[in-house]
Amino acid sequence: MTTPMPVPMPLTTPPTLADLTARTGLDVLGHLEREVTIPVVDGLQAQGDLIVIPYAFVARHLREPRRSDRRRVPAAGIELLRSAAGGNPHTLVADEGGCHWTDRVADPTGLALGMIENTAVAYLIHPEHGGTGIAPGRYLVRRQRERAASRQGLRGGDQLIAD
Amino acid sequence: MTRPRRGPSKIRTSLPHSSGERVELAQIVAADWLRHALSTRPSDRARAEAAVTGLFRRLGEPAPDFVWVPSPAAARPVLLDAPHRFRPPRLRGTEAPARPADWPLVSRLANLVADLRERLDERTGTELVWQPWYGTTAPGTMTVSEALAGGSSVRDVVDAVGRHPLRTTVDDAVRAPIRAELMRTEGEAPALTWYGQHDAAWIAHYDVRARVGLATYAHDDVAHLGLWAELARSTGWWWPGEGVCVMSERPAEIHTEPQPDALHGELRLHRDDGPAVRYTDGAAVHVLHGVHVPEWVLTDPTPERIHAEPNVEVRRSAIERIGWARYIVRAGLSLVSSAPDPGNPDSELQLYDVPLALWGRPTRLLLAVNGSVEPDGRRRRYGLSVPAHFDDPVAAAGWSYGLSGEHYARLLRRT
Repeated sequence: MTTPMPVPMPLTTPPTLADLTARTGLDVLGHLEREVTIPVVDGLQAQGDLIVIPYAFVARHLREPRRSDRRRVPAAGIELLRSAAGGNPHTLVADEGGCHWTDRVADPTGLALGMIENTAVAYLIHPEHGGTGIAPGRYLVRRQRERAASRQGLRGGDQLIAD
Repeated sequence: MTRPRRGPSKIRTSLPHSSGERVELAQIVAADWLRHALSTRPSDRARAEAAVTGLFRRLGEPAPDFVWVPSPAAARPVLLDAPHRFRPPRLRGTEAPARPADWPLVSRLANLVADLRERLDERTGTELVWQPWYGTTAPGTMTVSEALAGGSSVRDVVDAVGRHPLRTTVDDAVRAPIRAELMRTEGEAPALTWYGQHDAAWIAHYDVRARVGLATYAHDDVAHLGLWAELARSTGWWWPGEGVCVMSERPAEIHTEPQPDALHGELRLHRDDGPAVRYTDGAAVHVLHGVHVPEWVLTDPTPERIHAEPNVEVRRSAIERIGWARYIVRAGLSLVSSAPDPGNPDSELQLYDVPLALWGRPTRLLLAVNGSVEPDGRRRRYGLSVPAHFDDPVAAAGWSYGLSGEHYARLLRRT
């Protein structure tokens, strides 16, 4: 179900990781293959401890976010999450105007970071995981959790993944 | 002096002409700053005190008394002992004195340097757009010759060899773990920390830009920046207060390794047979390949401790010290089930039963493989704990993201 990506302006061919890092100024580690075209995924996908969920999967558990809370993702991107040590951000990037983001989402699991609404392909970039494309649509972005050793924490004993 | 110095660094060269010469000089100056940032020599107390006195004078304050301590850890009790002198005040709305000049010294010093940096930013021709990841630019992903040949601006390449690797190395890879380990704070911070040698990254940035001819600063600003540069060259962390300044010595040992595939000399802390950073009073920071870990990870990584550890990177580091196979045996884990990992070709999800005694509550352990390869070609394995009622590893993996097993089975891609 990895679809060939719709051509985003101003690029004329599907971008590679090298194109993406050049366009955004973001960096990824040198060992990741830069010249391979980044697949654009139309559906559920994960990047490390972050997951991108088609909104329809979870719509019935959520209250519809307000349109006024949406903000346009700038060309330089929005950082969604960093590691506990302060490095390795997951960054959402898209061509100017092609993607909106809101972090005002009430998720009963407490895991949501926010919602992506994109009319053009958007990308998630991470220094260690590389890049991945998100087909136009609406998605909920969640963090990962695990069972804590003690019963304290999120909802009686879960904790967010710290890395 | 007849003509303004271009920057505070002490290296003497003529002004470079070509792009290549400018980048080369930037590398030399940056390497010199890195040397100071990683210096393990005793502080030059006289120089450091003179520089702090110079900063206090700029605030219209007399020279403070100096209290020297062997490490940031040793500074804590001193700071907590006199909170009224050191604690950064809450300057919110009506509580704040109307005129900044009436603010406490701690705040005025912060303003002093913020104003300085704002003026220097204006002169370097870049107002720093707020991008928390500005630690890298596209030229940073190439070698110098590739970047210059590829048409990157000299300024971007100079940043790629100076500003960004220094920030990555000094601020993120060295300073952050030291702070996390030695300046642990519950609630409000006891004082505002300045980092001496570990302020080198931002100081070097302004210095490099001027040295290679990409900026000229006002005369007085160069002198002012010179005071911060003096501190970066002469001492460790420091904490200003009313009438007093607490000064820490530099570490006695700092152990580093190159970051994987570093193009511009980026380093990270690493030592596997002792602390990566050690001060003379024994204050120590343990780091394995850039992962800040507790001491037990090196000395005695037992299954009990691993399971009590909330940070997955620390757990992974500890388990890798033992080896996954031996860990599974030693921890008494038994395989419940396994299944292909959706979206992660050729990888398996494995669900293990964890003895109740080990965890203290009914739990199973989900073993997953990373979606992306490491520089050495291997994939990292991670163990996540999940509720004990799961028998299906796919359902357990789904739970970790708040999804059903049916939904998680539709995962198309994992990176």
